[in-house]
Amino acid sequence: MGAPFDYSYVFSFLPKLLSTLGVTMLIVAGSLLVGIVAGFLVALPRLYRIPVLNAFSMVYISFFRGTPILIQLFLFYYGLPEILKLVHIDLSRAPVMVFVILTYGLHTGAFMSEMIRASVTAVDRGQVEAAYAMGMKGHQAFLRIVLPQALAIAVPVFSNMVIALLKDTSLAFTLGLMEMTGKAQTLGNITQHFIEAYLALAFIYLVISFTLEKLLLRAERRLMRHEVPESAARKRFRVQEKLSYRRIIAGIRPEKGGAEL
Amino acid sequence: MIQLTDISKSYGKNVVLKSIDLTVNKGEVVVILGPSGSGKTTLLRCVNYLEKPNGGEIAIGDYRVQCKRATKKEIHELRQRSAMVFQQYNLFKHKTAIENVMEGLVVVKKMPKAEARLKSIALLEKVGLADKLDAYPSQLSGGQQQRVGIARALALEPEVILFDEPTSALDPELVGEVLAVIRKIAKEGITMIVVTHEMGFARDVANHVVFMDEGVIVEQGPPSELFHNPREERTKQFLKRITPELNYSI
Repeated sequence: MGAPFDYSYVFSFLPKLLSTLGVTMLIVAGSLLVGIVAGFLVALPRLYRIPVLNAFSMVYISFFRGTPILIQLFLFYYGLPEILKLVHIDLSRAPVMVFVILTYGLHTGAFMSEMIRASVTAVDRGQVEAAYAMGMKGHQAFLRIVLPQALAIAVPVFSNMVIALLKDTSLAFTLGLMEMTGKAQTLGNITQHFIEAYLALAFIYLVISFTLEKLLLRAERRLMRHEVPESAARKRFRVQEKLSYRRIIAGIRPEKGGAEL
Repeated sequence: MIQLTDISKSYGKNVVLKSIDLTVNKGEVVVILGPSGSGKTTLLRCVNYLEKPNGGEIAIGDYRVQCKRATKKEIHELRQRSAMVFQQYNLFKHKTAIENVMEGLVVVKKMPKAEARLKSIALLEKVGLADKLDAYPSQLSGGQQQRVGIARALALEPEVILFDEPTSALDPELVGEVLAVIRKIAKEGITMIVVTHEMGFARDVANHVVFMDEGVIVEQGPPSELFHNPREERTKQFLKRITPELNYSI
């Protein structure tokens, strides 16, 4: 198959592939945006147990989590215009990109909603009670107390999702969208150097995934700064502190603020 | 003055509070005692509506709320008149000690940040944590966290502070420092309702002791009377069991 392997092609393909990086990143960014909005809308009925909407959310989540993204792409690209034709909306001229972002967005949204639900549920109930007890209103307690802590819990999951999404976008070429994978195939077809094209492609995906992971890790550290791990030196100090404190407290009578040990 | 009238609460068929009446005068320290499951924590949580009572009336100062038809706005008003210190501290984990104290001042009382900061520093000094202003709760011991919790409650200048077993989750050697702080603020004439198992504390600090069992107030009175001369058989039993050191002969 194709021409004999020549590594110089790998290098010459890199800039050509990178010229379509913008398309891939547009799919990722657009889908994330749609996904976050959809995720919130779908998570809310489940968090607040709103009767009918809750059932809708569950069907939505099962569908997008339970079917392959490739099938979803085909269903949306070929099926949605047909359905909308019935209500006289013509989508035949809509750019492919719209369908791609919509499908990836809704797909990601299903996973996002589960992430949001799990993170919000994971925040200690006592935190909300403390906020209410000091006289905060519902939205203040959610925005100021629950959300920041939920975000910190969500970041590692979110990070995985972004990387999964990035790699999933490589299927958009099946609808004829000229993103990076599509470009690699075209380059392979023209030059017959398929392996080199895919090597260059894999390298680019790897670098982007790696960079995204590092960036999100940094965000996680920042959001989690309240859970500072203690240094060994500090721990030793604390043990001593406790010992001496124990001795002092034991010497004070309980009615003077000491404690029976 | 806090007045609870005919407060009742049940979860399904399980009746937790049976028509409780309780009056707490201004500046008074009321300690609620009782075996676990007697409803004392539920009663305390009803005062600021963390538990929704099924019926009755709650009055804090001149603000009255009919529990059955309390609106969101009324509950919010009611909560602004009290503050709570929790068994599990419940400090905001993503905020430092000083931010925890400032939070209510800035968000609920709408105080300018600089002013709130000064006030918070003064309060943290008062509870002996002047050197821990910027520590996160995860960096503080249980006793230190609870003292921040007390500073946070004081900051709001509520008409009453509700203490829900403030020392039950602490290591024995940390109980003293927290009780010492509560004693100190009790002397300043702040109205408090305290649910606790610390008998020594109840005896020394309370002006009024309430003994609850199975959702009713069995007996109440000044500590000298309730501890040394209980009228009800149930109270005698309880006190005997919880202060066993009186019966030990070594």
